[in-house]
Amino acid sequence: MGIPHHPLETLNPLNEAELNEWEEAYAAVEAYFQALRLRNRLLIAELVRRVLWRASSRKVNEPDKPARVLAMEETLAEISAWTQDVLAEPLENSRLAARGRLALLLTGMPDQWQSVFLTPPPWPGAFVAAMRSSYLAAGPNFAGLPMVAKPLELNAFGNSAALWWDTMDRRPIVRMMVVACVLAFLSAAVWFIFFD
Amino acid sequence: MEPLVPTPRDARRPFFGHFRRLVRRVVFFSSALLANLAACFWMGDLFWRMGFQREHFLLLAVFFVLNGLLVLGSFHALFGAFDILCARRRAVRITRLADGQTFALTQRFAIVMPVYNEDCVRVCARIEAIFLSIQATGQLAAFDFFILSDTRDLNLWVLEETAWTNLCRRLDAFGRIYYRRRKSNENRKAGNIGDFVRSWGGSYEGMLVLDADSLMDGADILKMARVMQLYPRLGILQTPPRLIHGASVFTRLQQFAMRLYGPLFLHGLNFWQLDGGSYWGHNALIRLQPFSECCELPALPGHEPFGGRILSHDFVEAALMVRAGWEVWLAWDIAGTYEEAPPTLIDHLKRDRRWCQGNLQHLWLIFARKLPFAARVQLFMGIMAYLACPIWFLFLLQSTWLAWDRRFSGLSNLTIPGNIGKWLHIDALTQSLILALAILVLLFLPKILALGGAILAPKVRRSFGGAFPLLAGVILETLVSMLLAPCVMVAHTVMVISIILGRSVGWDTQNRETDGTAWRDAVRFHALPTVLGLVWTAVAFRINPAFAAWMSPILLGLVLAIPVSVWTSRGRYGRALAARKILATPEELDPPEVIRLADAATAALDPALSATHEGRFGITAAVVDPYVNGVHVSLLEPARMSEPELDLAERCLSEGPHAMSDHDLTDLLYLAPAMLHMHRSVWLRPAESIHPLWTQAVESYRRRLEGSAS
Repeated sequence: MGIPHHPLETLNPLNEAELNEWEEAYAAVEAYFQALRLRNRLLIAELVRRVLWRASSRKVNEPDKPARVLAMEETLAEISAWTQDVLAEPLENSRLAARGRLALLLTGMPDQWQSVFLTPPPWPGAFVAAMRSSYLAAGPNFAGLPMVAKPLELNAFGNSAALWWDTMDRRPIVRMMVVACVLAFLSAAVWFIFFD
Repeated sequence: MEPLVPTPRDARRPFFGHFRRLVRRVVFFSSALLANLAACFWMGDLFWRMGFQREHFLLLAVFFVLNGLLVLGSFHALFGAFDILCARRRAVRITRLADGQTFALTQRFAIVMPVYNEDCVRVCARIEAIFLSIQATGQLAAFDFFILSDTRDLNLWVLEETAWTNLCRRLDAFGRIYYRRRKSNENRKAGNIGDFVRSWGGSYEGMLVLDADSLMDGADILKMARVMQLYPRLGILQTPPRLIHGASVFTRLQQFAMRLYGPLFLHGLNFWQLDGGSYWGHNALIRLQPFSECCELPALPGHEPFGGRILSHDFVEAALMVRAGWEVWLAWDIAGTYEEAPPTLIDHLKRDRRWCQGNLQHLWLIFARKLPFAARVQLFMGIMAYLACPIWFLFLLQSTWLAWDRRFSGLSNLTIPGNIGKWLHIDALTQSLILALAILVLLFLPKILALGGAILAPKVRRSFGGAFPLLAGVILETLVSMLLAPCVMVAHTVMVISIILGRSVGWDTQNRETDGTAWRDAVRFHALPTVLGLVWTAVAFRINPAFAAWMSPILLGLVLAIPVSVWTSRGRYGRALAARKILATPEELDPPEVIRLADAATAALDPALSATHEGRFGITAAVVDPYVNGVHVSLLEPARMSEPELDLAERCLSEGPHAMSDHDLTDLLYLAPAMLHMHRSVWLRPAESIHPLWTQAVESYRRRLEGSAS
């Protein structure tokens, strides 16, 4: 486990600001592995150390990039590359990341295959088979049936009512007049029945 | 050895003969009409004896409609009781076709559950229970499940995706349970189902339509599918859902009443509707080919609320199927079919507001050509379910006016002999008491028949917890229903008036569970009936204390609307009643297997994939969490990100999702490259360059680590 050819003595002495910067990078990488639901602390520590070594070697050539950015780029790139190797399918980069993470989840990596995560080949056959068969589909193959609305066939009374309704919808003055007539009729009826 | 698949019944041979169907309908409706005419004649004669006035014409007309509806309801129970007494083997039962059949289905069926801003964990629990229940029958291969989301809340969308993924992982059901979300929820539930039919309907013979709160037993689903396979004329097979999981007093009252009195009405309904049944929107199996050919709903003339898109689509779909020659049956004997009810009176009335508008739209369809008699009757009864209340209100107002008029007009109360008085030698008081008694009998006949039947049948009596809980439940249900009815009457009257005035209704999420109605909300909601009740009581006392006593069931219901609404909404009172087996149902006392499965279901919950963590909920999790993001992006269509879309993503990163409009946020959530870009950015970028919400979400993983270390 780990990269034994990187002894601690090779580290340059770091000042306080650099220590804080790498502390932040460490925390971010560690949190990402934690977000992937890795539970084994030894494994997480080892993976973080490996990523940070790579990031620190890049820091020599890219001194302006914050350590956190370098470390997380390394983390995401390593996961992406490893997933592509396991899946062995040509996906465009942007989709690969999601596809890889989905496959890890559906395979049950955090519970069953932690020890395989980010290791070089060969991987257990069951793990590879599970990864490659993991996908999501919102539905089966399309096999639609046409649905076309047929016009509502109304009888003579319904047609007349629809015509009136349409006229009242289009002409607010007519509508007002009809409403006024109906109200007047109702008032007259009430007066005639109850008060006359 | 696998049982052979029987040959389907000859498509030209109906299950029930047309002549016998005609006889049943003539008997049912003519007897109801005769009973109503007799009551109206009796009432008219009473008016004559009192001195006929013009007001009496109107009152008699209103009485004809109201009493007609009452007679229709009671006769359903009466004919239902007759049907039950005829014994199960003689009652018309379409599922008889699948009795004793054990063959493997050769046709495929879809189980579809449209959801709209629902609790996705509970939705998935119901799917899980149905899945396991069908799996136990060994016929799972014939069924696919579809969660058809119309959810507009973006956080809930993410939660639905994670719940569904967990469900499929746990049940190993990828490729068996599907989830899809519509970007636009055009035409609401009917549009959602239509979209499914247009996308995948061709792969299946039928679809079992469920509601988000529906639950069905696997063996019953299989039986229904076998009936559909064996009977080619069958278009829709509707089951009568039983209410379950009632916690508040209000829901317990509803579920008890439906469970005890429901079978009588179902038998009565089946007595006359037969192959011209109705579809109630869920818990029904629908044949897809005819559904696609007949049931794309046309727009009604004019705009909403009376015109436009049809809101209550189910009745219309059944009517269109029957018009096209397909049979729609009620599978009254299917027991494993369940749903839940709104927990409070206020929630119930809010749902009624939507249904009211939908049913009033059906006025147009009464005038549609070539619609069969049964379909017109179903539509008419649906309309009258809501128009009955304003008519009842009008009747009560008129009665009060007549009493007022008689009190202050100085008219004599002496009566003259009428026809009935002469024939039967009874005075006017006796005549009026007989009429009142007859109406009371009609009102309470279903309850009396159901209670008597349940107490006399030992198995049924025990299933409700015994004779005492049954009796106590019926008395309590009757009393509370009497108190609730006037409040519902006023609410429905206001609904109908507001619809006539042109106010359309929205599409609210249903509240399926609650701790109860707050007093403030109850006062706000029931202020009108309370004030009306107080004024009406004062008027009634002014007329005559005897008249006030006569009106007291109505007046008490109005005056007490607020406390009754609050009291019936309380879960603690519901639990207290449940502890004494009062208002208990057989499903509550001895839950069937599928209900137990649903209650114990947890497959949708998994900490490995969760979007409900504090600090990274919903959308935040879809961006930050590697797995939630992976699931969300995997369900999106491949796309490329334009410059403006990149700017939008950057704005979301710097200002946070709360600063975005719903429209922009929806666009981002539908754009896979944007979601991937944001996921990468929140992890890569230093805290000062992104919104603190993202930083806190990232930090939340670290806190977990530190928390577990300590």
